[in-house]
Amino acid sequence: MTGTATPEVISVRNVSKKYKDSLALDNVDLTLEGGKIYGLLGRNGAGKTTLMSVLTAQGFQTSGEVRVFGHRPYESDRVLGRICFIRESQKYPDDFTPAQAFKAASMFFAGWDQAFADRMVEEFQLPAKRRIKKLSRGQLSAVGVIIGLASRAEITFFDEPYLGLDAVARQIFYDRLVQDFAEHPRTIVLSSHLIDEVANLLEHVILIDKGRILVDEDAESIRGSAVTVVGPAALVGEFTAGRSVLHRETFASLASVTIDARLSARERAEAGELGLELAPVTLQQLIVRKTMAATGTDLSVGERDSDAELEATK
Amino acid sequence: MNRVVNVARMQLINKWTYLGIPAIILASAFLITYAIWALVPSGGGAMYSGAAQSVMWYFLALGIMSMTQTFPFSQAMSVSRRTFYIGTLGLFAVVALAISVLYYVLGLIEKATGGWGVNGQLYALGWLADQPALVQIYFYFIAMVALFMIGFWFATIYKRWQATGMLVVWIAVAVVLLGLVALATWQGLWPEVGAWFVAQTPLSVSGWATVFCAALACGSYLTLRRATP
Repeated sequence: MTGTATPEVISVRNVSKKYKDSLALDNVDLTLEGGKIYGLLGRNGAGKTTLMSVLTAQGFQTSGEVRVFGHRPYESDRVLGRICFIRESQKYPDDFTPAQAFKAASMFFAGWDQAFADRMVEEFQLPAKRRIKKLSRGQLSAVGVIIGLASRAEITFFDEPYLGLDAVARQIFYDRLVQDFAEHPRTIVLSSHLIDEVANLLEHVILIDKGRILVDEDAESIRGSAVTVVGPAALVGEFTAGRSVLHRETFASLASVTIDARLSARERAEAGELGLELAPVTLQQLIVRKTMAATGTDLSVGERDSDAELEATK
Repeated sequence: MNRVVNVARMQLINKWTYLGIPAIILASAFLITYAIWALVPSGGGAMYSGAAQSVMWYFLALGIMSMTQTFPFSQAMSVSRRTFYIGTLGLFAVVALAISVLYYVLGLIEKATGGWGVNGQLYALGWLADQPALVQIYFYFIAMVALFMIGFWFATIYKRWQATGMLVVWIAVAVVLLGLVALATWQGLWPEVGAWFVAQTPLSVSGWATVFCAALACGSYLTLRRATP
């Protein structure tokens, strides 16, 4: 939707990552184009951090091929120098202060903007001269956010950067991200499970669950890809018959059914004539429903038989 | 190349780790030793102290720290493992060399001042002090490098295989040492072993240490290549 997308910067082919008894990445295929903000969404343990680790050569895949800027990132300072990935549990040398960590970052990231970093230190009210190991969780996250943004790396990964940040600090992060992205277009990969908060930032959504990619789609087209139909249970049932149901709730004689379908103008009109209400589905609802549908664990439904129906629609 | 130098510079950002703390250890080791010498009447005989070693043991800790803390940070700084390795060992070698030269100079002062005026031996240890300057400096240097490499290698093992790796390595080291002791006992080789140790000179010890360090350096690098932060 941006029109500024450049050719692919990351390509992932058949990448799997096995741990002793689990598959953290299951045959992942992905292509990321430059100049976009990607949302890497998924539950805890879905494989988000593993995927980012493999992309930045901080971790290793068991099989498959990763290319960043057309090259293998592993042990390539040329490729690595153009990317930045601060882990959610990033470790810093014990005696370092945030100011010293920023000084180190200025040595390794060619695009480092110290003035920008200084401004964010003010905004996050970060005690830049205090030792990092004495910082609170939120302040620690702020250090990572500042390095990620001020490094202006061509591909920047943010791994759940909001942990411990208060609502104001999170808003500052989102604002600075959008603003700086507009001034210095680059590729951002933002992993998050606060989907509602980041929904408006994202241009492209990658949903990962149990190591598999469930969704890899433009954010705009995802938003219109599902709809919730609300009305008398019988009519709703008739209208949604034969469609892929993501979620179903009933209250007395009323039903609310989320279907994985893009309705045509004629279908919308038809729903209107039947007295059915069509409600948009937020990105968060959609992601939650899709993840649950994929795992077959729709726990929030009121009716037991909806599981069976869900199975039937597959 | 530039990034290798930056890896070294990065570790000097905090002046304490590589410069301040070693300086404090050196100074306090000397002062405490000197105070003891001043308090304890020697009756004119030479007094020895092993306090000069203390800074060398700090380098064992540094080896561990650079792997457990600096390595994960260097990964966030988008530094390849190879670059981190060369930069860290390079920085360490420079610091170790500086301290070795300092030890040699302090040894000269010690001899010139009649053991700091109290006939003490802290830096100019008898076995080593009459060797040529280069041998003395190299001996200190390789001893420090060996300690650093031991710390570094153990930390790499830990980074890669956690507690299981540590356990396996310690058991393996114990088995090998026990095996050697058993072999010497069983073959009745102890007199030869003793003679061999007695025959060692600072130069030959440095030589063995060099072989040991080279083996650890290769082992560390190979282990580090697949280590994750």
